[in-house]
Amino acid sequence: MKTAKSSLLLLPLLAAFLLAGCNKTEEPPKPNVASQGTAPASYLDKIKARDKLIVGVFTDKPPFGFVDEAGRYVGFDTDIGRRFAKDLLGDENKVEFVAVEPASRIPFLQSDKVDLILANMTVTPERKEAVEFTNPNLKVAVQALVPQASAVKSLDDLASRTIIVTTGTTADIWLTKNHPDWKLLKFEKNSESLQALANGRGDAYAQDNLVLFSWAKQNPGYRVLEQTLGAEAPIAPAVKKGNLELRDWVNAELAKLGEEKYLLKLYDQYVRKELGDDTKPESVIVEGGKWQG
Amino acid sequence: MNFDYAFILNTLPAFLKAVGVTLQVGLIAIATSLLVALFNATILVLRTPYLQRLVGLYVELARNTPLLIQLFFVYFALPALGIKVSGFAAAIITMTFLGGAYLTEVLRAGVDAVPQAQLESGRSIGLSHGQLLRYVILPQAGILSLPSLFANFIFLLKETTVVSAVAVPEILYTTKSYIALYYKTYEMLAVLTLICVLLFLPLSLLLSRLERRLQHGQFGS
Repeated sequence: MKTAKSSLLLLPLLAAFLLAGCNKTEEPPKPNVASQGTAPASYLDKIKARDKLIVGVFTDKPPFGFVDEAGRYVGFDTDIGRRFAKDLLGDENKVEFVAVEPASRIPFLQSDKVDLILANMTVTPERKEAVEFTNPNLKVAVQALVPQASAVKSLDDLASRTIIVTTGTTADIWLTKNHPDWKLLKFEKNSESLQALANGRGDAYAQDNLVLFSWAKQNPGYRVLEQTLGAEAPIAPAVKKGNLELRDWVNAELAKLGEEKYLLKLYDQYVRKELGDDTKPESVIVEGGKWQG
Repeated sequence: MNFDYAFILNTLPAFLKAVGVTLQVGLIAIATSLLVALFNATILVLRTPYLQRLVGLYVELARNTPLLIQLFFVYFALPALGIKVSGFAAAIITMTFLGGAYLTEVLRAGVDAVPQAQLESGRSIGLSHGQLLRYVILPQAGILSLPSLFANFIFLLKETTVVSAVAVPEILYTTKSYIALYYKTYEMLAVLTLICVLLFLPLSLLLSRLERRLQHGQFGS
């Protein structure tokens, strides 16, 4: 009995070593493979051999990534993934979508669960350390949503109140960094955060303004505070850190799609009706990847 | 990307606080669950008509719905009916609902496990129903239930991680927040695993020692 129990103690240690181990062995060789371009095990070949592109997308963030009535994953970001699959593997159905939450996007890339994240991820300096961003496809700023009747007029009014955020979003990061003493209530999913605001669990919901505009348009009784939290920033697809080969392929692909104004087509299909005609498409989408914020 | 020990050190104060929340949720839920279970077990042992049925229904309902769903229901759906409780309260309510049912079953099983011969012997020396319960059934049932009672306490403590879903700042919530902010996935999951082991293993050892001592008192060595 005694020995069995003390050896149990070693298990988590073993797990920690394994985690640390796989971390180290995987990282270094990749940049070489990509930069030389002649290595036999190219990442694109790996995708072609499996004949399927694996993409992490949102499922509860219309119009960018959501589930339609037929149960299909669709949206502005999601459909870009289909197009990538078509151009890389010749068939837009050769794509496997994996549902991700804001906080799980980077871990999914780090642990090789997906080839590519197309889930409305804002480029930030910290994230650049953790993943490889391609050129952007959208731009965004963080704003705050409050109930119409709320007494909150400006951002500073929020200092003494509770602000809802979705774990791992730009809003979460910005508020934690710039106002560490403000009270945050964090939920895993965008839909849970919105429900929490509706239930009055917080005074405001800070999130990417594109999501808030679209939600406020469909749900009367809410308004978006004018001030932004931080500056406008690019949103870009991301691949695993060091996977320059796939990054370069995506950049070339975005440039190609820019020539045929493909993103504008997706904007008209998904985003225009959510934001209204007052919003200029150029203020939201980045065609051809040509904008760095 | 290397294993960042300095980062881990910086997060320790926050994790210490989170351990406090975990223990708070866990210990309160264990206490309230035990109260619910004692109440229910009394009804079952006394074979109170109707109430006995109700207890059976409750146990089945609570044991066959996942804690996460109970939690989402209390936290996100009940406000629609005008009942709004905090995340912490929702955690205690649902964990008591679940824990109470499991512990009821444990106590019932303990009573059932008292050998029939003990009851017959008691009756043969002329003990009343109340005396039988007090001097024969309950002392033995209590000791017989202890192992699974303790196992369920540990189970409830471990279940506290589920309440991170309604923004209760316990250990899993804290871990996920750090991963989301700084992307130190491996470091934070390693810390979480280590905390769980440091937290639950000593408790488990302590309880099994206590259990042995109590059984020693009952049966001798």
